[in-house]
Amino acid sequence: MNLSFQLNGKPWQLDCEPADTLAEVLRNQLNLNGTKVSCEVQVCGACTVLVDNVPVSACTYLAYEARGKNVLTIEGLENPDGTLHPLQQAFIDEFAFQCGYCTPGMIMAAKALLDEKPKPTRDEIIHHMDGNICRCTGYVPIVAAIERAAALMAKEKQS
Amino acid sequence: MSVEKKSDFHVVNHSLPRRDGRVKVTGKAQYVADLRLIGMAYAKVLRSPYAHAKIISIDKSRAEAHSGVYCVVTGYDLDGINPYYGHAVKDHPLLAIDKVRYAGEAVAAVVAVDERTAFEAVELIDVKYEELKAVFTPQEALASDAPLLHQRQFEAGALRGFEGEVTAGKGTNICQTHKIQWGDVEKAFKEAAAVIEGDYYFPMTYAYAMEPYVAIAEVNDQGVTIYSSAQHPFMVRHDLKSVFNLPVSSVRLIVPFVGGGYGSKSYTKIEPLVAACSWKAKRPVKLQLTVEEAMLTTRSDDAYTWMRTAVDKNGKIIARQAKILMNTGAYAENSPLVVEKSTNRCVGPYAISNVLIENSSLYTNTVPASSYRGFGCAQVTLPGESQIDELAKKIGKDPYEFRLANAAKPGEEFFPGMRPFDGTLKEDLDTAAKAVGWGKPLPKGHGRTVACSGSDAGAYPLTSTAIRVHADGSVTIMTGSTELGQGSHTVLPQIAAEELGVPYEKVRVVSSDTAITPYDRSTGASRTTTLMGSAVLEASREAIQQMVVMAADVLKVKVEEIQTVRGGVRCGEAQLNWSEVISKFYALPDGEVIGRAYIRKSGRFSALPVFWEAAATACEISVDEETGKITMEKLATVGDVGLAINPALAEGQDLGAATMGMGIGLFEELIYEGAQLMNGSILDYRLPRFSDLPKEVELHLVQNQDGVGPYGAKGGGEASLNSMAANIANAVDSAVGVRIRQAPLTPERVWRALKEKKGR
Amino acid sequence: MEDRGSRSSILDLRSSVLLMMPLRKFTIHQPKTTAEASQMLAEYGDKGRLYAGGTELLLAMKHDLLRYEHLVDVKTIPDLNKIERKNGSLMIGGTATHRAIERSPLVRANLPVLAEMETNVANVRVRASGTLGGNLCFAEPHSDPATLLLALGAKAHVRGNAGTKSLTIDELIKGAYETSLADDELLVAVEIPIPAKTERAAYLKFQLKERPTLGLALVLDIDGDQIKKAKAVVGSVSALPTQSDRCDGLLIGAKTQVEKQLGDAAEALAKAADPVDDLEGSADYKRHLIGVFLRRAFIKALT
Repeated sequence: MNLSFQLNGKPWQLDCEPADTLAEVLRNQLNLNGTKVSCEVQVCGACTVLVDNVPVSACTYLAYEARGKNVLTIEGLENPDGTLHPLQQAFIDEFAFQCGYCTPGMIMAAKALLDEKPKPTRDEIIHHMDGNICRCTGYVPIVAAIERAAALMAKEKQS
Repeated sequence: MSVEKKSDFHVVNHSLPRRDGRVKVTGKAQYVADLRLIGMAYAKVLRSPYAHAKIISIDKSRAEAHSGVYCVVTGYDLDGINPYYGHAVKDHPLLAIDKVRYAGEAVAAVVAVDERTAFEAVELIDVKYEELKAVFTPQEALASDAPLLHQRQFEAGALRGFEGEVTAGKGTNICQTHKIQWGDVEKAFKEAAAVIEGDYYFPMTYAYAMEPYVAIAEVNDQGVTIYSSAQHPFMVRHDLKSVFNLPVSSVRLIVPFVGGGYGSKSYTKIEPLVAACSWKAKRPVKLQLTVEEAMLTTRSDDAYTWMRTAVDKNGKIIARQAKILMNTGAYAENSPLVVEKSTNRCVGPYAISNVLIENSSLYTNTVPASSYRGFGCAQVTLPGESQIDELAKKIGKDPYEFRLANAAKPGEEFFPGMRPFDGTLKEDLDTAAKAVGWGKPLPKGHGRTVACSGSDAGAYPLTSTAIRVHADGSVTIMTGSTELGQGSHTVLPQIAAEELGVPYEKVRVVSSDTAITPYDRSTGASRTTTLMGSAVLEASREAIQQMVVMAADVLKVKVEEIQTVRGGVRCGEAQLNWSEVISKFYALPDGEVIGRAYIRKSGRFSALPVFWEAAATACEISVDEETGKITMEKLATVGDVGLAINPALAEGQDLGAATMGMGIGLFEELIYEGAQLMNGSILDYRLPRFSDLPKEVELHLVQNQDGVGPYGAKGGGEASLNSMAANIANAVDSAVGVRIRQAPLTPERVWRALKEKKGR
Repeated sequence: MEDRGSRSSILDLRSSVLLMMPLRKFTIHQPKTTAEASQMLAEYGDKGRLYAGGTELLLAMKHDLLRYEHLVDVKTIPDLNKIERKNGSLMIGGTATHRAIERSPLVRANLPVLAEMETNVANVRVRASGTLGGNLCFAEPHSDPATLLLALGAKAHVRGNAGTKSLTIDELIKGAYETSLADDELLVAVEIPIPAKTERAAYLKFQLKERPTLGLALVLDIDGDQIKKAKAVVGSVSALPTQSDRCDGLLIGAKTQVEKQLGDAAEALAKAADPVDDLEGSADYKRHLIGVFLRRAFIKALT
């Protein structure tokens, strides 16, 4: 089937099978390997991408569902001039990753949260992010990174 | 080697941003799953549904005839190579040969044009089995009528890494035994003022790296090249060399970023299988395991421990005795070494004058067990640190004071024959206790504990490295260390930058390619900072020595007249930085200097262990008695690391380790029911998540520069896991008065223990 | 330990040596009306299935426990995801997602207990894709919505080739992964009566792993210090959410008296539910938890 959608801000068209997941299309057809595949049962969140600003598990979300929608992957997060999104910078500043395998999914999930709730409480961060698993960090620095990014984004908005 | 004081450091001991930060947050970091080779095919594996069975026949004709299939490989197709491999003993066939030994064992592999085709063909393979009686626990495996898993005589694995004799293959299901003994335990227990005795169980767990095992192999007349998520590429290279009868120079292992190791990717896993697929298919082959398959590949050893500990009337621990049965699953992997280490680690970081620890690891028809963070220490620290609290309670002593009174002291040879203790447990325990507010009143249903562990760590000191100083003064480190997330790509450049006096940003790392990077034994056992770090430090200094000689030549003076300064040399009025030295030496702005270092078991690395990995952890928990649910209120970790090259990374490791330990203490366990692993998926194997975060977390490092690593560094990142299960068990006892001698302390187990206590 | 009799083995995701594979090929059909959807479903028989969020269905298909060559995408039927207030009830379209329900101002204002339950279903991504209709029709025993909806007296509006009908939740869900729906029937809306001002509702769950161990819904109709009506439903402990008339009877009366009867009420409910041993907990632990959470729900409902 033919699939038309927006990908990281650009219109895109490709051919794929109805049974292809969004993760398969991103990784195998489009060589966008930033989205990682891990548990494949929608539990761990490593494959999180945003479709119309809503987080989905690309491992199970059919590519078909993205038709006519806006898909944002980790590759589309940095600014066109190569500078990092505040979340990406905050993850670096707070040492919010180690092996990095969960990181793209974490950042995309966090982006969805901050876009919806620019000043989340710690409880709101934990509730929203609870569906993303990290085996390396113990989560504390990830919460700190999200809070840091929220503060930075609030400041940027002001100025 | 003089040790500079901490305040003198320019680069080291600073929490500089991770070198691999940008690539990881932008999704550009490459892992094996992201790689593709020209002409690459895909493999999928058929696995045994039976725990123990003879393979009567395999009919692969329909699978091979399926469109898009290149070949199907079984244990019948391996003539011409040596199909058995293994770190300690070569008991592991790369595909089942004649029989299967656990449900999930690889029986056949299909190589096809894509994954879907490979899956379709897997279903077309017909295997006829004859079921055999199976054993699932060490006790069953020891029974006189137990079926034997292995009947062959094994070749020793080439990289044993331990001194003991391997017991496997001698007509029983015993894989390995080990014993340590000093003093006279019988006498000590007779004379003891108080004794605690008990049986404990530490569960099978799964390391659960977010990246499941994956490898790409290319086998051709040039040799074998493998891309793998392996922690120890040189060890895997050795196994592959043996399998294919090749010289080392014809085998190449390349490891990009690894998506989590934790010991579960130590040693050889699926590489021989993928290589055999490539050999048969005559093209590169990628095998990517799902998480569920990964859970059928490696787990951690579980352990049944009977332990007793005795004190004299002065509250001094005078004896510890234990009998341990470990369950290594269907294949030895490196459990023989785990047995040895876990035996040693029963002593804890305590000076005990009478010790007898006997340990056996048994083959059973379950997923093979191999190393996991802590390397056998967590298994025995559950009983070890539980008994400390149990004893303290019995004799009416504060468990923190009790530990202080018995902890090994700096410089004490508390483990006969081993390196004297190089940590400061008093400071570790004091810091941990203070962090959780020791002594302050606690609400009802809350419990507060502190625990510690000490491990003979660092594995074996065999490491080399090369540092290339380029003509423009930038530097490339060639290191065999793999980047698992622990930060080798950051820490090693920090050391080189410190030594060479060049900016950290100008130091790059090329890593874990056995054809390019010099030999390093392994990335694990918390050894990279201490051993590879020392190699990088020495290679930097060796490069400097060479550049001093070059400078003398350039300046036409005697070598003795050259003074080294930060980032260069001086001689009288003349001052040259490294770039100038090299460019002038070669008379072109080109060329380089290669500094090198070899580390072996000599000098400051003569005594083993390379260092003692010590940490203290403390926590406060609350128990909901109605449901048995435990909430972590506070957590503190204290890593006794000598010197943290990058403090943020060291603390991050401690928190990650403590979180894994908390997972085991609260909910992680693999559940077998007969032959089947019941919870081999993330749906049923519970990992720690955001909502399990303790409300308060404090991370501390104790840095007394008391190690043999660079600037007094030691290793870290495992010790904080080891004592967590005991901490939780002790805290539950402290909170609600029930002693549970098994991990995890699930809500149901806590509830049941409370129920039994109340007699309802 | 395991009593697996209550589970249909074909859908038992707990068996070892699972084959996880890329989805087998299928065609996706896009009906424009419910009638069209029913026709398609009838045509494809057991080779076809309704597909909404796919959060349960696709997982089972990835594990090769279910195979379908035709998926009928109900999300292409316009207005099947509407959330409306109609005649004293909330009408929630079959393809409304957990996320939409959780965030709906109508739901939050009129039935906050439903919004609260939805906000704790699975994780944020499953809530974004998963639908209420899909959840009810997949009938996974360890699940939150059915338990609460049964207690709220919800009705499932079903449409098929033979016409429309309205089912209570216990008429809809018949067993583990089993509904009373015919092949061609789809759930078009869930109708939930908006509670009277005198009603109080609470939903609590106990969950350790990916699926709840227990869910307890309690709806009380209160007049002063008297409880006039009560309905307690326990879910996730056995194949179906369960209610007990005897339990509900013990929850009626003076508050102080009912409080003394909570233990007996819970026992009656546990007897009716007959919890099973599984990986989420053993039967006697679940029986105990029923007592704990009935009491906690009672306190919450009255606060």
